[in-house]
Amino acid sequence: MEFDKKSLLKLGKLARISISDDKLNNLSKDLNSILEFVDQLKEIKTDQVDPTSNSLNQKLEVRDDKVDTKNSAEDILENAPEKEMDFFVVPKVIE
Amino acid sequence: MVAQMIEGWNLVIGIEIHAQVNSKSKLFSSSPTDFGSKPNSQVSLIDAAMPGMLPVINKFCIEQAIKSGIGLNAKINKKSIFDRKNYFYQDLPQGYQISQYKDPIVGEGFVEIETENGQKKIGVERLHLEQDAGKSLHDQDPNLTFVDLNRSGIALMEIVSKPDMNSPEEAVEYVRKVRSILRYLGTCDGNMEQGSLRADVNVSVNKPGNELGTRCEIKNLNSFKFIHAAIVYEAKRQIKLIEQGDSVNQETRLFNTQSGETRSMRSKEDAHDYRYFPDPDLLPLTLDDDWIKGLQDSIPELPDQIKERLINEYSLSSYDANIIVSDKAISRYFEDVVKNRNPKLVTTWVTGELFSILNKKNLIIENSPITSKQLGELVDNIENGKISNRQAKEVLEEMCESGKGALEIIDEKGLSQISDKNEIESLVDNVLNSNPENVKKYKNGKDKLFGFFVGEAMKLSKGKANPKIVNDLIKKKLSQ
Repeated sequence: MEFDKKSLLKLGKLARISISDDKLNNLSKDLNSILEFVDQLKEIKTDQVDPTSNSLNQKLEVRDDKVDTKNSAEDILENAPEKEMDFFVVPKVIE
Repeated sequence: MVAQMIEGWNLVIGIEIHAQVNSKSKLFSSSPTDFGSKPNSQVSLIDAAMPGMLPVINKFCIEQAIKSGIGLNAKINKKSIFDRKNYFYQDLPQGYQISQYKDPIVGEGFVEIETENGQKKIGVERLHLEQDAGKSLHDQDPNLTFVDLNRSGIALMEIVSKPDMNSPEEAVEYVRKVRSILRYLGTCDGNMEQGSLRADVNVSVNKPGNELGTRCEIKNLNSFKFIHAAIVYEAKRQIKLIEQGDSVNQETRLFNTQSGETRSMRSKEDAHDYRYFPDPDLLPLTLDDDWIKGLQDSIPELPDQIKERLINEYSLSSYDANIIVSDKAISRYFEDVVKNRNPKLVTTWVTGELFSILNKKNLIIENSPITSKQLGELVDNIENGKISNRQAKEVLEEMCESGKGALEIIDEKGLSQISDKNEIESLVDNVLNSNPENVKKYKNGKDKLFGFFVGEAMKLSKGKANPKIVNDLIKKKLSQ
């Protein structure tokens, strides 16, 4: 799979990460080499294998519907770079 | 009527309903789900997407999805997969929503709705489990957006219909029906004001015989009124565009509840590229037959079944039965009152008189000032002839104001109807004896005077005499 600059810029936009022009070439090269490495998997024949989303042979663990409040608003907001009146604060988002 | 407004056009509507699972804790964390709590007070490290946190699924939520699927006559998938839906937004700390994409927990089903032209089957495409996002407040500060993550991670059931609806009325009926089924099942409280149930509506128009038009999606409608108004506005808008020779752009639109208009939110070109892939933190969800069977056995009687039973058991009309089963609280109230009483009388007093009082006071049946037991007592007093229908209305209003019981009010006001035959007979004799001229005229063929005698007798009893007995006695005496 070829990872061109256009796809790279789109990916950057979707993740809200700005990519400067001088980094484009190197980043594109890096990503391509990762994809090439992963592409080796395609050499395995899988047409006789059911699609699987997980290779662990286990059942999904479930929990009971019990409330456990470990954190207060103060605790969780301690991680916020900016906060006000118990809210996280971010630059204005215009819809 | 809307049908006239869009004459010559087909309307095609599909709906996605987001219904909050009625669970105490969130889908993948143990944070509480209470509405209206202090901002960010219900946020665990999982909900805030701190590094290294792992989701563990809530068993109750899985069960509610299965029960809802059964209620929607749908196929339950024994294996389903949780995917990551990737997008960047400030109220989604993970950077992705855990949802289900290719393999949802519930597959195809249907619900039946009532339309002008009788019953109609509306197809359900799927139901899947997913996380809700947090809440953004944009109007607190001109330069900042405030974020509350209390809702982040709460379990939602997304129910996707097939594009089977063809009018705003059908769309509203469909959402009403799904809401009612979920409320009967107890899987979602259906509280639209608090956002526990909201709808995204897809609308397109085309000329009959032509291929389908381009659709627009109107997001986040949280009342039946808004669903109706948004569809009417959107259909008109699209028809106008096409008639002008323009084309409809496929886009997401927002409904402005103040102006009643829809406006573009984002077009197809800016549409998200969600890059779905299976969440590596979560194994596939597998359901064994016993689990599904157990849930199947726990399904209560649903509106369609109750309706059939009411019609068979109490000879209700289809119209009355529909009103009664439209909501779980109403049917429960009705069945409480109707036990061992006259069904026709009870129907009139519940759907007629009680509803008009609730409407006037802007109340729902859950907080009715008159309990089912109290209404039953009132109906008893009508049934045994103690008070007339007219008096009962007066009593009901008084019950509503004072909270007193029917009997207490009847005694206090001296309302009770005279049903004693001897007492009424002496009233009637009195009337006939003091109007010998009129009695003669009546016997000579002036039938209209019958009403006069009844009126006089009622007057004499100060309105308390049982009208039926008065009528019967006068008829009997005049024919002697």
